[in-house]
Amino acid sequence: MWAGGQATRRASGTRAVGLLVMVALPCAVACTNNPYPDEDTGRRIFYAAYAEAPKTLDPAVAYSTVDHMVTGAVYDTLLQYHFLERPYRLVPGLLEEIPEAQTMPGGRVRYRLQLRDGLRFPPDECFQLSEPPGPWREVYAADVAFQLMRLADPAVNSPVASSFARIVDFEDFGRRLDALRESGSAFANERIDRQYAAAGGIAGVRVLGPRELEIELRAPYPQLRYWLAMEFTTPVPWEAIAWWNGRDGRDAFAEHPVGTGPFRLTVYDKRSRIALERNPHWHGALYPERRAPGTIYPAEGEPGDREAGRLDPEYVGRPLPFLERVEYRLDKEDIPAFTKFLQGYYDTAGIVEESFDRIVKEGALSPEMAALGMTLEKTVQPAIYYIGFNMDDALVGAPGGLRAKRLRQAMSLAIDAREFTRIFQNGRGIPAQSPLPPGIVGYDPAYQNPYRQPDLSRAAALLREAGYPEGIDPATGRPLRLTFDTQDTSARGRLRYQFFVDAWRRLGLEVEIAATTYNQFQDKVRRGAYQVFMWGWVADYPDPENFLFLLWSRMARSAGGPNTANFADPHYDALFLRMRDLPDGPERLAAIAAMRAVLEDECPWIPLFHPESFALLHGWVRNAKPLGMSFSTLKYRDIDPAARAARRAAWNRPVVWPAWVVLTIALAVLAPAVVSAARRLR
Amino acid sequence: MIVTYLLRRIAYGGLTVLGVLLFLFVLFFLVTAPEDIARKALGEKAPPEAIAQWLANHGYDRPRFWNPEAPTETMLVEHYRRMLTFDFGRSDADDVPIARRLREGVWPSLALTVPLFLFEVPLAVGLALLVAFLRETYVDRLGVILCVLAMSVSLLLYIIGGQYLLGKLLRWFPISGFDPRPSVILRFLALPVAIGVLAGLGEAVRFYRTVFVEETGRDHVRTARAKGASEGRVMLRHVLRNAAIPILTQVVMTIPFLFTGALLLESFFGIPGLGSMTVEAIHGNDFATLRTMVYLGALAFIVGQVLTDLSYVLVDPRVRLE
Repeated sequence: MWAGGQATRRASGTRAVGLLVMVALPCAVACTNNPYPDEDTGRRIFYAAYAEAPKTLDPAVAYSTVDHMVTGAVYDTLLQYHFLERPYRLVPGLLEEIPEAQTMPGGRVRYRLQLRDGLRFPPDECFQLSEPPGPWREVYAADVAFQLMRLADPAVNSPVASSFARIVDFEDFGRRLDALRESGSAFANERIDRQYAAAGGIAGVRVLGPRELEIELRAPYPQLRYWLAMEFTTPVPWEAIAWWNGRDGRDAFAEHPVGTGPFRLTVYDKRSRIALERNPHWHGALYPERRAPGTIYPAEGEPGDREAGRLDPEYVGRPLPFLERVEYRLDKEDIPAFTKFLQGYYDTAGIVEESFDRIVKEGALSPEMAALGMTLEKTVQPAIYYIGFNMDDALVGAPGGLRAKRLRQAMSLAIDAREFTRIFQNGRGIPAQSPLPPGIVGYDPAYQNPYRQPDLSRAAALLREAGYPEGIDPATGRPLRLTFDTQDTSARGRLRYQFFVDAWRRLGLEVEIAATTYNQFQDKVRRGAYQVFMWGWVADYPDPENFLFLLWSRMARSAGGPNTANFADPHYDALFLRMRDLPDGPERLAAIAAMRAVLEDECPWIPLFHPESFALLHGWVRNAKPLGMSFSTLKYRDIDPAARAARRAAWNRPVVWPAWVVLTIALAVLAPAVVSAARRLR
Repeated sequence: MIVTYLLRRIAYGGLTVLGVLLFLFVLFFLVTAPEDIARKALGEKAPPEAIAQWLANHGYDRPRFWNPEAPTETMLVEHYRRMLTFDFGRSDADDVPIARRLREGVWPSLALTVPLFLFEVPLAVGLALLVAFLRETYVDRLGVILCVLAMSVSLLLYIIGGQYLLGKLLRWFPISGFDPRPSVILRFLALPVAIGVLAGLGEAVRFYRTVFVEETGRDHVRTARAKGASEGRVMLRHVLRNAAIPILTQVVMTIPFLFTGALLLESFFGIPGLGSMTVEAIHGNDFATLRTMVYLGALAFIVGQVLTDLSYVLVDPRVRLE
């Protein structure tokens, strides 16, 4: 009996110890909220969150901000934008210099591209296919030509292929390739470079030497240079496509980039973690003595850069990149991501809608956040949101003649875009006067569109002129009815559209919201069965052409283009074609001003606002200047690891006392139970 | 005997799976058009040719149910062919082979669900034994109140509350995230496992308690007591053993689902397992991934049922599968 009691007690003692160990062990190893291994503290690692995994890392296809987060760092571009200067200015990248157009007979145009010396692809398994095989290989002009052929290849399905259609033989090459592939499956399984060779290559892309390439266009296209500043035209080794084909357990090329950029991808666990590390084979790292643009920190910027500490002598002229590693973590929800930013575990964050007022006060950082040492970076994006009229519509469009024009002008005058951005965008956006946003050649801060200054009495007068006094349609004796076709059925979307409907109701107009899904909306657009719509556009490249083409008649939606307003004005079209091919200068500015005047009078759009992005950065982040478009600026960025470690330690001391309180309560409740259970057992 | 029983069981299961696959196909394409999937995958700016090419590449350019020219060239036939041959194909969202996704996602899922299972079952059975043993005392009554309270709160609240309290305010654990490296993995698993155990405990303890209490009223238990067996022996040998069948039904049924992951816990904690993959597939209009997960879920259910039946035979010699 006695011995038995001893044994039970010992057993229960062991159990209690076991239980304590079970509770304490995970706590001992896990009781920290630091999501990173301890050995990474104090290293030059930049941390940021991403909300959605990249879809593809293939530079011929990648077209979203989140894809560019990786491809922008891994693939270097032939040209690039100056990091600090605005308006955007192109500088050479992998090319020795910016190629100039040479006019040829028959209206053709030729560009000579000269690659820098000694560029390298970093070591990769795929180069065992090279002749001769090796761990890495040099970059040749043929690699740029190869990538251009990939853009034309229908199987690659590049979203921007049509932008290169002016290259001589570009589209025919794609057709030849398709025909060969359809002729037999043996061809389709051939190595990719052999397939391209069999299709004869693109006649307008000629490799003149190991590092020299010529591109011939059917017609002038000055915007080509902007495409050379994007990853679409980066050199890609054919070996990478042939080797990383997703077969035999190998990754697909879309998951395994092989690029010439300042960083290389080391972890691609895209559902939780992406890591980039400095690429020692980047030309900036191999040849720092060349001091090529984009391989050293620039010495000049726009006004305000010096004040913002972006021209710190500590950095100017130093070789890039500064960071040793970049860590991205998937964080789908805003709030946890923002909390980790506040804990110092992310170096940058967007602003959570719910706590906007806590963070931003009157367009600047709130004192509470400023006290934590943060900075707020505001950038107006090269984008526009607008309300458009279907110019093919009998009531609001061109067939309606002057009456319809006055109606459009009146409707424009009723909309207060400043109020809209205040209510629905937390004030993040500047009212638009024309399609062109700031930072784009042709944007004139002084320009005021007379139909974009909200004025209800003027609007009412125009409406009377249009023959709808007080908004009444004389044909029916009732308020004029219009439909606002939207592609957002959410409650939030409805609220936004209601803002416009209410504004027009003040004029006496009866605008009905027809909310449908995106596809139904597309279908309506195809059938031309729409009157008023709201839409947005984000620039691909900072050229006025990329905005003004949205109203070019050749781009009409009815012809499958993005001109959803179906605006067609011969004068505008003529100006557009001239403007498109002109170099930047007074002549081009005059053409843009004339186009603006057409739009102002015709009013096919009600330009609403240019969105502004707000990004928060911790004080230890250096040299962050958003480029607005999705071009990577990671190589310029730096952090101060010591300052970060100190802040993190101060912000994240665990609060331990509640553990003791909970433990005490649990013991107090359980102890009598255990005692009585033990008594009963005996 | 047992073989015919199992075969019949599996055949019924097979029919159920076929029905599930049909139901999923119809429901999915009732609300979504293949163009929606393409647009989600290619982005807003994708030109019509790119969309058409994508649809052709993914086999969504065929008729859905009926193709008079070639009856087998329909999306539905292809759907069944792929699922029944376990040829899951590639994700509609990013073209990654789904088989690879499954291989990668199963480990994070198991890292969460196995500890969850291993902590929860013994803890719930132990606590239930304790409250059943002390029934009609304050411990039992307090237990009932706590359990009902715990059952009434939604898992979502546990997750958000746990992240807020233990992650944000007390700073004991990272709020969310995952990193499979051994030096940090425990940090990320501690909170979701604790929350998962806590959230499931109320219901499990109530259930097991009922089973135990019912069992304690049985004749054989009274006989054991009458023969002078100690209370501890009565509980462990006579009650616990005979309560094994309902416990097994609960427990064995969950084992196959350990592999398919925990939907809510994984997606809120950012654990890249198969549960969050399913949620992402729903959000991302990724039909190819979603159907694979639903199919595997249905198969897991069938396997669970068969395993449960088999385990009955193992623990209770009276049970015959016929």
